[in-house]
Amino acid sequence: MSLWVDKYRPTSLGKLDYHKEQANQLKNMVQCGDFPHLLVYGPSGAGKKTRIMCLLRELYGAGVEKLRIEHQTITAPSKKKIEINTIASNYHLEVNPSDAGNSDRVIIQELIKTVAQSQQIQSSTQREFKVVLLTEVDRLTKDAQHALRRTMEKYMSTCRLILCCNSTSKVIGPIRSRCLAVRVPLPSSEEVCSVLSTVCRKEGLLLPAELAKRISEKSGRNLRKALLMCEACRVQQYPFSADQVIPETDWEVYLRETANAIVSQQSPQRLLEVRGRLYELLTHCIPPEVIMKGLVTELLGNCDGQLKAEVTHMAAHYEHRLQLGSKAIYHLEAFTARFMAMYKKFMEDGLDAMMF
Amino acid sequence: MMSKLSLGAKLASNKLNRWVEPSFGDLFHSADLSLSTGNGPFARSGGTRMGGKSQPPSTDPNTNKCPRKRKTASNIIKLQPSNPTEPAQGNDDEPWVDAHAPRSQAELAVHKKKIEEVEHWMKVHVDPKTIKGGAVLLLTGPSGCGKSATVQVLAQHLGYSVQEWANPSSHSEYRPSTDPDAYKQTFDPDSRFNGFYGSSQTGLFQEFLLRANKYNRLQMTGEGGASDRKLILVEDFPNQFYRQPGCLHDILRRFVRTCRRPLVFIVSDSLSGDSSSRLLFPKDVQEELGVCNISFNPVAPTSMMKVLSRIVSIEAGKSGGKMCVPDKAALDLLCSGSSGDIRSAINSLQFSCLTDQSLEKGLLAVKKGKALATSSRRAIGKATHRKRKSKDAEGRDEEQAIGGKDASLFLFRALGKILYCKRESPEGSEGFQHPSLPAHLSEHNRDRLLVDPEAVVERSHMSGEFFSLYLQQNYLDFFSDVEDVARAAEYLSDADFLTADWNYRSTMGEYGSSVATRGLLHSNCGHVAGGFRPLHKPSWLLVNKKYRENSLAAQSLFISFCLTPVSLQTELLPYLAQLSNPLRNPAQIAFIQDVGCLSRRKLPGRLKLEALTDKDPGLLELESEEEDGGSASSAVHSASGNLSGDKGDQGEPFQEPPLAGSQGLGSGGDLPASQPQPNTASALLEEDDLLIEEYDSDF
Repeated sequence: MSLWVDKYRPTSLGKLDYHKEQANQLKNMVQCGDFPHLLVYGPSGAGKKTRIMCLLRELYGAGVEKLRIEHQTITAPSKKKIEINTIASNYHLEVNPSDAGNSDRVIIQELIKTVAQSQQIQSSTQREFKVVLLTEVDRLTKDAQHALRRTMEKYMSTCRLILCCNSTSKVIGPIRSRCLAVRVPLPSSEEVCSVLSTVCRKEGLLLPAELAKRISEKSGRNLRKALLMCEACRVQQYPFSADQVIPETDWEVYLRETANAIVSQQSPQRLLEVRGRLYELLTHCIPPEVIMKGLVTELLGNCDGQLKAEVTHMAAHYEHRLQLGSKAIYHLEAFTARFMAMYKKFMEDGLDAMMF
Repeated sequence: MMSKLSLGAKLASNKLNRWVEPSFGDLFHSADLSLSTGNGPFARSGGTRMGGKSQPPSTDPNTNKCPRKRKTASNIIKLQPSNPTEPAQGNDDEPWVDAHAPRSQAELAVHKKKIEEVEHWMKVHVDPKTIKGGAVLLLTGPSGCGKSATVQVLAQHLGYSVQEWANPSSHSEYRPSTDPDAYKQTFDPDSRFNGFYGSSQTGLFQEFLLRANKYNRLQMTGEGGASDRKLILVEDFPNQFYRQPGCLHDILRRFVRTCRRPLVFIVSDSLSGDSSSRLLFPKDVQEELGVCNISFNPVAPTSMMKVLSRIVSIEAGKSGGKMCVPDKAALDLLCSGSSGDIRSAINSLQFSCLTDQSLEKGLLAVKKGKALATSSRRAIGKATHRKRKSKDAEGRDEEQAIGGKDASLFLFRALGKILYCKRESPEGSEGFQHPSLPAHLSEHNRDRLLVDPEAVVERSHMSGEFFSLYLQQNYLDFFSDVEDVARAAEYLSDADFLTADWNYRSTMGEYGSSVATRGLLHSNCGHVAGGFRPLHKPSWLLVNKKYRENSLAAQSLFISFCLTPVSLQTELLPYLAQLSNPLRNPAQIAFIQDVGCLSRRKLPGRLKLEALTDKDPGLLELESEEEDGGSASSAVHSASGNLSGDKGDQGEPFQEPPLAGSQGLGSGGDLPASQPQPNTASALLEEDDLLIEEYDSDF
């Protein structure tokens, strides 16, 4: 029994639930026989990966679904051994180069080279190119991106690249211009609802429309999250009721508690406690950027209009620091401390105003 | 081949004979030794060299006292004479350090309480009536703080004999080569090869411990009868132990089980990260073996002053006015320059007094020399007077001309200097008028600092980045106002921002630490109340490591879901924890339970604060991770290993919930309870605190 997310993932371009026009365009493109490098981008949970897999299936047939996980070791020119996990079928190779950290350039160059240099054996029946799917391209170092640019041109004859990322803002211009950019937006709330109810029907469950709507709102239209939530609801209670509590992830609850702790008291001791909670979140694999974002969202709920602008401005400042700096806790803590100081001042001013 | 064989045979014979028939084993052993090398190790100090069996040097009476034992033990047993020969008063060549070595407890420049502590231990463990088993004492402290002297003086005072291990020297070149055969052997490659005891030093050490434990000294005529009260002293460790501390631990375990003699180790602290006392005697081993650890502080300036002036007065009397007698200011300078190392202080004292004599020997006019010396001395004196009067911040750094030692601070004190934020009292700076800030900047006006932050960081022997981490971990306890905290946190964030780019980190590091330290000092407006606050080691490194490890483990375990790390960690894993999905292997389930679920309890149980004790060096092991991509990906392999570790971690809070509760971060008020007392009573901690004060005021 696999997760609903995986179980009901559409496998062909024709079966996609939303953005059907785009799916048709992709289908036409594949049927022409060839296609340029693709840059697929869009927010998390919009169905980029699903779409790409459908595309590959359209290209190569069911063979792409036979996946194997490979553990590759690549030797850098400096004799340093880099290990990376790849997922491959006979026709394509999926890799997340940013797993290799600073050595991602080597991965890009060597891995693509090995793939591209081996020709397809039966080029009469198959396509004459293989596909390399690179995920999280926006997390590549600049170095690696430039290497990628060169590699793209060099092996055009035997290899197509599909790049997958959340945002193109961190992808360098030369790469963007060499790729056909495909944006996969989030499904609309109605689309999420319809997907949810379809899935539930297939499972033999009855999903109230209201609950579906609430799930889609709560998930922020992130379809993966919505499906996971729906499945968690199922575990929690069945038959569904329209007003049942939609289970949240532990870390979100924890983060909300942290935000409440910040708002309820502003003192160095409280900051120490908050630091402990931030550490706890970090050890549970919640990335610092996500913590920062979640914290700001929760804190803003407690702020007045005037304060909101200031807090957001400040959050942007420290988020930027967070990206550039090396030790996240400094910046998270600085943000918290600054918010505490601001909030305390605001409250005291408000109190004074009430007195007079 | 031959040499290997003989070595092996020797080892085998050792093993065979150690427990069965030691006395015959001796003979066999010694015979073997003389066959293979004919070359015993040498004494380390005092010029008492040991030859092989063929030709014992007959000059030193000490060496001849029990020749059989030494040879057979094949190491040097430096017997402490129970009636030490008085140093020849007229001997000018003897260094003052030796000539004026302390001979009584009163002369020791060590704190009374420390002496008492050591004495108490000795009394308990040396006296045969109270002996229970092998007891181990570990003395630590910076070099030149009187560890060895304390042991020697106390042993002498209590009438114990001291048997000391010295590493056997394996260089045959230094042998006295009166014997032509021996000379030949020296340059015979085979025998030289045999001469290297490298691998068997450990064996020799073990043998030494055994013998020192078993046999008493031979009773010689004319010696005192303090026969069965003996200390075994180890100051010099076989090199092997530094590479494999486990060896030493095994030997010690056996020693503690079987032996009856007290064993004293003396290890000097070093300020840099590679502290040998931590390497050789980790905390767990110390606990396991019941090692009593007494740590010495640097010699306090007052007691050092006493010793120095005593030496000066004796020497001045002896030389009869020929010596250049340093005045009090010069002695002060010596004291402060030696940073608590009395050996170097005495050495530099002798050197500074020597100038006159060498001038005289150089056939220069005595008067002229004296005039020169005194004038230069006056100059020094003036400089110091001026310095002490003004108490300038820069004045403290004034170079000392003679025998200056790099001043250094233990991390604990360095942090204290920054965090306690000592400032001059406003009325203290009466003579010198500071330029005051204009009115609109008056909020930034602060009293003059008593510390120089850059110097403190430099003396802590730590990179600025790590120093900032330590500061970040501890600064909150020293602040009372949130506004101040916000500013301080901002400065720390700035510091990290400055050092973010590894390209320029070497250059920017200093600026970063400067911003961090000065920022902290500046933003702390309120007066930091005195009183001891526990300091802790930064948890960030551990947290960051765990974050990375867990992320890697997550990715390798759940690779079949084909998700990006972020969505895997923030969406899939937390929900997987809530779903009852049977399609998972045990490793995955364990991981989900550990990482996917956050404990909803108020107190995070996982993070335990590790208290920073006063002598701890900084932890530098985790440093190299950021630039090292290889290690990150290699960790994928060990993911399953991590998992078991994670499981263990998870189990921990359940095993000992009260401890986790009391050490949790959230339990603000309980923090002092989480401070483990590092083998010493809390009184000693207070003493340390006092010592910080003393240093502050004396600089």
